[in-house]
Amino acid sequence: MPRASTEVLDLPVDVRPEPDVLIRAAMEWHFHPDTGSRFWLERAKTLPFDPRSDIRTHEDLRLFPNMAAELRDVPAEVLIPQGYGRRPDVVGVFESGGTTGAPKRVVLLRDWLERMLHWSNANLDAHGFPGGANWLGLVPTGPHIVGEYFRRSATTHGRHGFTVDLDPRWVKKLIAGGRGADADAYAEHLIDQAGLVLRTQDIGVLTITPPLLERLARRDDLAELVNEKVRAIRWGGTQLDPDSRYLYKTEVFPKTVLCGNYGSTMILGIAGERPDLPEDSGCVFDAYSPYVTFSVVDSQTLRPVAYGDRGRVLVHHVSKSFFLPNNLERDTAVRIEPLAGHVGDAVADIAPVETFEDEAVIEGVY
Amino acid sequence: MAEPRTDPAQLDALGAQGTFRARNRVAVTDVAGREVAELSLVPPVFVERTMKSLHRAASAAVDERISMIARAAELFSTAALGGQSVEEYEYLVSRVGGIPISEVRATTRAIAARLRKVHYSVEHARPAGSVTRWDDPLTRTGRAVWARRGSVFAVHAAGNHPGPHSLWPESLALGYRVAVRPSRREPFTPHRLITALRGAGFNNDQVVLLPTDHATADAVLRGADLGMVYGGEDVVRKYATHSSILPQGPGRSKILVTEEVDWRDHLDTIVDSVSGHGGTGCVNTTAILVEGDPTPLCEALAERLSSVPSLPPEDPRAVCPVQPVATAKGFEALLLHKAAGAKPWLGGDGIAEELGDGSAVLRPAIHQLDRPNAPQTSVELPFPCVWVAPWTHEAGLTPLRNSLVLTVMTHDTRLVDRLLEEPSISNVYVGDHRTYWMESGMPHDGYLAEFLMRCKSVIRD
Repeated sequence: MPRASTEVLDLPVDVRPEPDVLIRAAMEWHFHPDTGSRFWLERAKTLPFDPRSDIRTHEDLRLFPNMAAELRDVPAEVLIPQGYGRRPDVVGVFESGGTTGAPKRVVLLRDWLERMLHWSNANLDAHGFPGGANWLGLVPTGPHIVGEYFRRSATTHGRHGFTVDLDPRWVKKLIAGGRGADADAYAEHLIDQAGLVLRTQDIGVLTITPPLLERLARRDDLAELVNEKVRAIRWGGTQLDPDSRYLYKTEVFPKTVLCGNYGSTMILGIAGERPDLPEDSGCVFDAYSPYVTFSVVDSQTLRPVAYGDRGRVLVHHVSKSFFLPNNLERDTAVRIEPLAGHVGDAVADIAPVETFEDEAVIEGVY
Repeated sequence: MAEPRTDPAQLDALGAQGTFRARNRVAVTDVAGREVAELSLVPPVFVERTMKSLHRAASAAVDERISMIARAAELFSTAALGGQSVEEYEYLVSRVGGIPISEVRATTRAIAARLRKVHYSVEHARPAGSVTRWDDPLTRTGRAVWARRGSVFAVHAAGNHPGPHSLWPESLALGYRVAVRPSRREPFTPHRLITALRGAGFNNDQVVLLPTDHATADAVLRGADLGMVYGGEDVVRKYATHSSILPQGPGRSKILVTEEVDWRDHLDTIVDSVSGHGGTGCVNTTAILVEGDPTPLCEALAERLSSVPSLPPEDPRAVCPVQPVATAKGFEALLLHKAAGAKPWLGGDGIAEELGDGSAVLRPAIHQLDRPNAPQTSVELPFPCVWVAPWTHEAGLTPLRNSLVLTVMTHDTRLVDRLLEEPSISNVYVGDHRTYWMESGMPHDGYLAEFLMRCKSVIRD
């Protein structure tokens, strides 16, 4: 059987491969003894099939088990495909949020970063983000990949990136420990710092999480500065409900472009808001198909739910730099039809996995 | 009887810029689980902008406010508001809250009556030495002026009964701008009341309705100068140290009958105190303490309360509250758990009687305790549920503490002295008075105005 060529993994950033051609090339690359990562070569031994001959289509990715949990323990080096040679161009090692236990680690390689950025910048253009502006980012930094994407987006689509340190794990710990007042104080500390940048620098793009945007909007002077200077706001990290989105677009920041992204460390990047959605609707996110693809599935059977129904988000990442199929995210979303030519689903109205609170019977009359 | 609507009614938020129909809406269901309305829930950014508008707004002059509140009383109790007649409103409150319709109707009248006398009520709270304006001639030689402690007041409203909504409009009378976060259990009353207040002339940025989910509720309080929160023991604990929040907690109202009084002369009052108004109020009697053997009283109460009918709440003869079966079973299980060690006279085998449509009547429960300080005397449940315990002078005030209302049937004036001096008893009714007795101008748990107002010294040239 002729082996698939791996050249399609190196297409120019503005050319998208045919999905199944990409799959076959990626299987050849990630599972060939000369080019595959030690992580996958080791695990391939336990698979009941040979990925290089048996995985032919995007649909076949379902045959793989979900290996995401192993990324908590493995040394980062073993994740790098050996085909990158002895000195791979590693941008950095990044970690998941750590919401569900110890963080999972991924390695970001230069070629994928460039590809993702090219796509993401094109999405910003489609939303009317000004080019060459200074950016201010209130996003997780440190081990979180979003911080890296912020800096790189700022310097490629814009000019300079101004940042504020943000440690989301500490905030989660404060909240879990019932220290809501301390979490508040930390968030206000972030807004104070953002205020210093907004007042003194020529900021045209703001990247921020919805809870921090809400705090910023609470301060009249800062909301005014945003309306005065900032031409586009990119939000992400947590969800923005459709009512808040509508109010920001129509009342709070009416002159500013508002664009969401749905990011995840495990996809090594972000999915972007579909351009030209009505103001009144929720956000629909499209992934960077065919490299990153979503399926919205029933969490028990892992079969797709109907369009318009809610299910768990299942993600495949297939690129030269990384392979991670069938990662079941902790989010749920509404399944939406993809754009023409895309594989997988678009997602809307993202929410954390629902936890049902028992309606405890409480004494008293109110 | 009004016919239910086929489409669920839309309960929009009533914001500072007018009504707001959110994309995020929750179903308001009746006791049979049928959806009767959709309630718009607003996000934090809406709350914050609205609260800012309240701060920026001005209040009308006092006499105009009082006149608008009186007009609102008429609208609330007689007019079709937003296409909803009084009868439709009362039917919905009855079906959703499970409150007997006769009680809902009486409360509509009671709310209107209290609103008409709102100025009379708040004036009772004003310290006798104070005046209401700085330019009162008395301030020329120095005088206290009664002034607001803030300008924006927030209420986390109760959903057990429409009655408590007659209280917060006092803050409007005093010149506050007011935000009400309705209970998701029964949002109809505040929605109608605020619609009436606006119809009577209050501006959109003077009184607002902000339905929110649990996570956003605190934003309503945070945006106000002062707040009032209805809730259970947890709410009281949470806000105990907040000087800007007035918690309205459990009532745990009680009746004490001492030896020299024969309870047989007051049985109607005792029965009504337990089961009147649907038995769901904080002013309904939770415990009865009797000097001597409580057994004959238990027997008499059981005889009177065992014969109450089990009817859907919209039936004019309904007496007991109704809840969805699951909720009713939950209360039943809680009651049976709490009643361990007590002697059941009524409701010992359970109190939830299913009506067959998914709802169940919460029937009366009577339990006899063997000592005055049994912990059950503070177990307050939202249906006619009473604990009867023996009392002795040696037991003293301890078992009577933490009572919103204490009706004491006694000839012992020194005992009355001591009850009045007990800080955790809010109201003392001596003799043949139902624990739910209330009147305009009388404090409920202190005057609300004690919390909203303060005196400032003013002297001028």
